[in-house]
Formats: sequence, C-alpha cells, structure tokens
Amino acid sequence: MAEMKLSFIYRVAVTKGEALRYISHLDYAGAIQRAIRRAGLPAAYSEGFNPHMKISFASALAVGVTSDVEYFDLEMTEPLPPLDVAKRLKAALPPGIELLELRRLRKRKGTLMAEADEAGYTVDLPLTGTAEQARTAVAAFNAAAECVFHRATPKKTRDIEVKQYVAEDVALETDGDAARLTMKIRITPTGSVKPGEVLSLLVDRFGFPGDGKAAGLCRRSLTGRGKSLLEIDD
Amino acid sequence: MIELTPDLLGAVTKPARYTGGEWNAVRKDAAKVACRFALSMPDVYEVGMSNLGLKILYEVLNCRPDTAAERVYAPWPDMETAMRERRLPLYSLETFTAIREFDFLGFSLQYEMCYTNVLNMLDLAEIPVRAAERGEGAPFVVGGGPCVYNVEPVADFFDLFVIGEGEAVLGELVDAFIAWKGEGCPEGRRGFLLRAAALDGIYIPSLYEPRYDEAGMFQSLTPLHPAARPVIYKRLLADFDAAPAMTAPVVPYIGIVHDRIMLELFRGCSRGCRFCQAGIAYRPVRERSLPRLRELARQMADATGYDEMSLTSLSSADYSCLEPLVDTLMTDFAAARMSFSLPSLRVDSFSIELADKLQQIRKSGLTFAPEAGTQRLRDVINKGVTEEDLMAAVGAAFRRGWKAVKLYFMMGLPTETDEDIIGIARLAKKVVDLYTEIKGKRGVKVTVSVSCFVPKPYTPFQWFPQNTLAEFDRKQRLLKEHIRDRAIQYNYHDARVSRLEGVMARGDRRLAPVLYEAWRAGAKFDGWSDQFREEYWLSAFGKCGVDPAFYNERARSFDEPLPWSHTSPGVETGFLRREWEKAMAAALTADCRRGDCTGCGVCQRLGVRVVDGRRKDG
Ligand code: SF4
Repeated sequence: MAEMKLSFIYRVAVTKGEALRYISHLDYAGAIQRAIRRAGLPAAYSEGFNPHMKISFASALAVGVTSDVEYFDLEMTEPLPPLDVAKRLKAALPPGIELLELRRLRKRKGTLMAEADEAGYTVDLPLTGTAEQARTAVAAFNAAAECVFHRATPKKTRDIEVKQYVAEDVALETDGDAARLTMKIRITPTGSVKPGEVLSLLVDRFGFPGDGKAAGLCRRSLTGRGKSLLEIDD
Repeated sequence: MIELTPDLLGAVTKPARYTGGEWNAVRKDAAKVACRFALSMPDVYEVGMSNLGLKILYEVLNCRPDTAAERVYAPWPDMETAMRERRLPLYSLETFTAIREFDFLGFSLQYEMCYTNVLNMLDLAEIPVRAAERGEGAPFVVGGGPCVYNVEPVADFFDLFVIGEGEAVLGELVDAFIAWKGEGCPEGRRGFLLRAAALDGIYIPSLYEPRYDEAGMFQSLTPLHPAARPVIYKRLLADFDAAPAMTAPVVPYIGIVHDRIMLELFRGCSRGCRFCQAGIAYRPVRERSLPRLRELARQMADATGYDEMSLTSLSSADYSCLEPLVDTLMTDFAAARMSFSLPSLRVDSFSIELADKLQQIRKSGLTFAPEAGTQRLRDVINKGVTEEDLMAAVGAAFRRGWKAVKLYFMMGLPTETDEDIIGIARLAKKVVDLYTEIKGKRGVKVTVSVSCFVPKPYTPFQWFPQNTLAEFDRKQRLLKEHIRDRAIQYNYHDARVSRLEGVMARGDRRLAPVLYEAWRAGAKFDGWSDQFREEYWLSAFGKCGVDPAFYNERARSFDEPLPWSHTSPGVETGFLRREWEKAMAAALTADCRRGDCTGCGVCQRLGVRVVDGRRKDG
C-alpha cells in the first residue's frame, strides 16, 4: 500500500519588531524558518536535491518597515495540538519576532498571498514645516485623480499610477513637530505600491513638509475581504 | 548607550550589519560582571561574523559569569562617514556600549591587509591609536590570530598579543585582570601589563626595544624588563577533544560569508606544504573523536536552526574517521534535511566520492589546489599531488556529473621558471580535454585562479625574495597568452596588494609610521580590491623614507636575525633550513600525521603530541 502523505497546515500571526526593521523579507523568512527548526517542529519539506521548508508568507514587507502583524502558513507532517506548536515556536523566535496567534487550518485553502488584498500602514515622521502645510499637501494628494510614481530599481525603471492602489484617503494627525500618516493600500494580483513610495510622492510632489529620511514605517494590518487573515471561514 | 536613528540607518547599505539583536547573542548586565571584553575582526560584519576563532572565544568568555564578551566589526565606509558626522563612537552590537568603555578590545588579525582597519577602528572608538598614548581607563588592545607570527609592523598599536590558540590563554588573562582590578589597579596600566607578561603565550611589545646596526639591518629585539621573555612560544590545546567548544554560535539575520554551522574536525595540518604558514602555525594535528563531533553537531543544530553544516579544518578530507562521521551525521540529520559540505577537498577520488555522497552543489563546481603547474615545482613546494592524482580526481568528478572545476595556483614560487607558468595553462587544458573525452562533448568550465606568492615567516620560504611587480606582471601576461581554450576562465590577483602584503608579512617596527601615514591619507579595507588605493601607500613609504623592497624583494641570508623570532609557533629554525634545502633539491617530506616524526620540533618544544585516530602509537 502506498504511503499516504498527509500534511497539516498551521496559520501563524507574528510581528516584525523594531530590532528587525532593516531586515529584508527574505532574511526575515529565513529567521522564521531557523526558529521553526530550533523549535523542533516537524515541518514538511519539498522533495529533491535541495529541499525547501513548506512555508508561505502573505505579503513581502519592504526593508525599513516594521509590522504589527505578519502571516505565514506552515505545513507539518504531524497534527500537533496548536497550543503545543505555539509554545515551542514562541520559545525559539528571536527578539523582534513575537508570536501573536496560531491556528490549524481545517482544510487546505488557497495561498495566503492570494487572500491578502489590503494593508494598513502608519508613517511617523518629524515635520519640517507647519501642520497647515502638511494638511494642505495631504488634501491635495487625496484630491488628485491620478499620480504617477517613477519606480527605479537597479534592474529596471517603471512608472506606476499610485492612486489606483490607495484604498482610502490618507489620514493625517499632528502633535507638535510630529506627524502621523495613516494609509490603506490595495494589494492586487497585478501589483501594489509601497508606503514609502506614497510618502516620497507626498514630500516631493505635494510639498508635504516632513523629513522622509527620518520616517518610521509600520504595517498595522493585513486583511482579505475586510477580515483578518486568521478569521477563517471553513 | 549609543542610539541609532532611522535617518542614519536608512541611509547606509545593509543596516542590519549595525543593529545586532541576533539569536544567541549574549547580553549581560555590565554592573554584574568584572570584565568586559570586546571581540573584533577588523573587517565588515559579514566577514567578521564568519571567523571561527572569534565565535569560540565569544562563547568561552561568556561562559564565565564574571565576564561579558561583546562583538564589534568595522563599519563600511558609508557608515563610518555617517558615524563621524554624528560623532557616534564605535560601539558593541550586544549592548550598544561605546568600545572605549570596555576593559579589553581584542582584534583577530587574519591577514596583513586589515591593519589600517585596526587603526581606523581605534580612532572611531576614540581610543588613542598608539599604545604609548593610551591613558588609565582606556581598554587594553589585544591582538591574536595568524598574524602574531610577525606582528612587529603593528606592535606600536597594541598593548599585548596572544600567541597561539586564544581559548588556551584568555581565561588566564581575564583572571589576571580581575585580580589586578580587585586590588585597585596597582601601578596602573603598566602594572597590569607586567603581570600579563608573566603568563605563557602573552607578548607585551612595550617591554622590548628593537636594535638596528648602522646599515639599518635588524639586530635584535631587546627585552627592557626582567618580566619580558626573549621568546614567547604559542599556547595551544593539548587535548582538543576535551577542550571547551562552540555550541551555540550567534545566528545572523543577514547572509554572511560562512552562513552555516562550522563543525571543526581537528586542528593543525602537517602535510608540510612549504609555502604554508598555517601548516606550521597550528601543528601538531589534534583530532576530535567521532562521539564528540556528533554531540557538538547536535548541540549546534539545536541551538541555531541552521540547515547547513560545514565540516571544517585545514584539510578536512584527512580526518581519520571521515566516512563513518559523514554516515553518522547524514543519518542523525536526515529528518532535519541538513546539508553538509567539505570545504577543503583533497586531490583524489576518495574526496570526490564523499562530495558526491554529500551531494555537494554541482553548479558551483569543485575546487582543487594543485598550487603549481609542473611536477618539479610541486615537489619543490612539497605539494604531494601528481598530475595523475588530479586527472583521476577531476575524471571522477566529471563522471559523477560535475561540469565545473576551479583550480588554484600560485605564481612567484622559489625556482619557478616560465615553463612552470606555462605548465598551469597546459594542466588546465588537459582537464578540459579530459571532460570532452569522458563526455564525448565539450561543455566544461575550468576556472584557473592564480595568486601571487607571499613568503611568510616561519615557513621554509621565509628567506626567499618575493617576485617584483614587473615579474608578476610578466608572468600573468605569459600565462594569459598560453590560455587559449574558451572553456578556461583565468582569474588573477592584484599583484600590488600581494606585494604590500609581502612587505607587512616580513616587516619590522619601522613600518608602523608607514601604516600610520597610509591610514591618515585614507587607506582602509585594503584587502578589498575596490577599496585598495596604492597611492596612499606609495606616498606613505615616500614620506617615511622607507623602501618597501628592503622587506619584500630582498633575499635574506640564513644568519640574518629575523624580527619575528620572539613570537614563535615552536618550530625549529633548523627544520625550516632543512626544508629549504630539500625544496632546492625538489625532495619530498612525508606527513607526520600517521607516519614518523619529521623533526619540526613543535611537539617536543611544547610538550604535546599528534592526536589522530589512525595513528599507530594511538
Ligand atoms: S614534532 Fe614531529 S610529530 Fe610533531 S608536528 Fe613536528 S614533525 Fe609532526
């Protein structure tokens, strides 16, 4: 009789704290995989010469951005009780990655990547002008019908119409010299925009009086059809 | 505590080099320890974090409840600029404490081209660069690593050096420090240095003075104090198997040069290649037992979560129980999908079979080091590898599916002729043809990498003049002309860097002002080809009136006093002399690992012996 290959999927919510702000998504994923190995969890691996742990992330986070909540799905070869898995993982995660929640999925769903369709961010930065100038800049950005960002990577450059990805008006709070921008950004199968890109448009194109270089960016939420990715409808 | 702001970190490349917080990093409360020891390699994070010696010292020191060891590496020039602009001093990655607040700052000196980085880091740490200018309260600056077998060019910048294996000495050094501090630091800095001088393996450069004759020839390094011994012999672990080992290395967030578990199979290598300093410096061979290695592998895997393990040593394939070890580890870690690698392959088919078993990555290819292009020259350097060995090894590799090999050679070796240089091209072509013959088609990639030979202290070639720049250039061109097959890729080193390395390797204290001037002019990261600027050095030599050729191009006579003879790995000069004579006669010397003692003198001098699982006398 052929051996039945069973797999058990756990969905995990974790943070990416200040200590890890400057770690790339790939290195962040690597840190989590090493933690899973340290925890001694029976992770499933792909076959072949160069086996990979079966783990998938919801959405890559840009370098320089922390996160209140990140999600990944981990496939295991044994159905351990979620509380057990959580306990072992918690003890093995490095400083800066905190375990928020863990659930076992009853059945295999689509990829996490496909489920996530919106991300919320806050951007904290010092003001270099008045609160009034800041409000005007944000209002002008919100009122614009279109706004093109010129994205340049070492390999290629591309023009991106940003407003199609901005789900709600960017909100502004100020407190003395400090400002906080809150934005909701759509994640679509054909692309998205980074919060840092919206920020640089605000500063460069709309005259937002802030020091972009000193900005602290944080992902606050990641949702699918308006719900947390942990709220699973079986 | 040093604080790094987003505007600083956001502006530099790879900010994670500077933010610490890694798994297994040890953070201790400064108020609860009696000694704070900063450990450093004067190179960038990814290189420094890969150094095995420092990882071991980090754990050995942190095992002591009374001591805190922390790490610091050289900031890349963009970070250095940002730090200087903001007046941020050099700090440790564990607790972001200014380095000048530590009791010790230890540098691992792996290669001469890092010296300007030492000066630069001291300056960034706001510690006076010259030891003589350091006041009470400044850290004691300690040097260790392979460069200690001639540290004279940097002697003025260090308070003390550890000769040999650091884990055998540092405990005693820390004990002495804590005792001295507990007594209220009697006689200040010098009081401590005099106490340290009493420890075996510690060299205090300020307790000696060099003497030169009217012609400017080095005469002696004269002790200035009764505590200063004429010769400081290296310390080492006689029982490597029982010695404390690394069990929980720091796991970096970003990729580093050796980003894997390093399982150290043994210390030392006595194959006796005559150009190789490590082959003398780490003698005798001392193996770890299989059960101990198995235990260490398990501890490190559990503590790190790495999925890759390298079986590290100077010549790993020589380990007496390599096959059983590999089988055991592959079974132990099958479920964890651990992959293994052998970093130093021997030129034989046994190595290929093992590499095949380990499924060593095919596309990156296998690396062999024939070192010289003809049998005659390989005999001169005592590289016991024949052309048949090489063909058998690469043939076995091609049959098992490898499509790429890298071949390492040196140029500028003693007795070398143009025929030996052309022999490199000929050998590479034979490897290409062998592939075509075995596979019935072309499609191999052979990389020929040729470095410029740097004669090193405590080798049989320590008296030999290095080739001139013109000679290296001519040989590099000659070889290029003779490599015609497009399947061969030829890489060569910058001879100017090797020439400078040649000056430092056999230099004396008169080079300190040159180093200082070159650093002032802007020299740093000299080992990085994109950062090396020869002009800084040329003007520094000019300004100080020092002729570099005196150090690297001059043939030394056998009776000339050598400025490195007081920091010794224990080898007898007579042995090095005999090996030189044998080199001239192209005569071979056998490995003493499993055979007879060939009389280098290290074991007798240091009261140790070879430990190898297949040695007849056990
Ligand atoms: S003293 Fe003899 S046995 Fe010991 S390392 Fe030297 S040659 Fe080998």
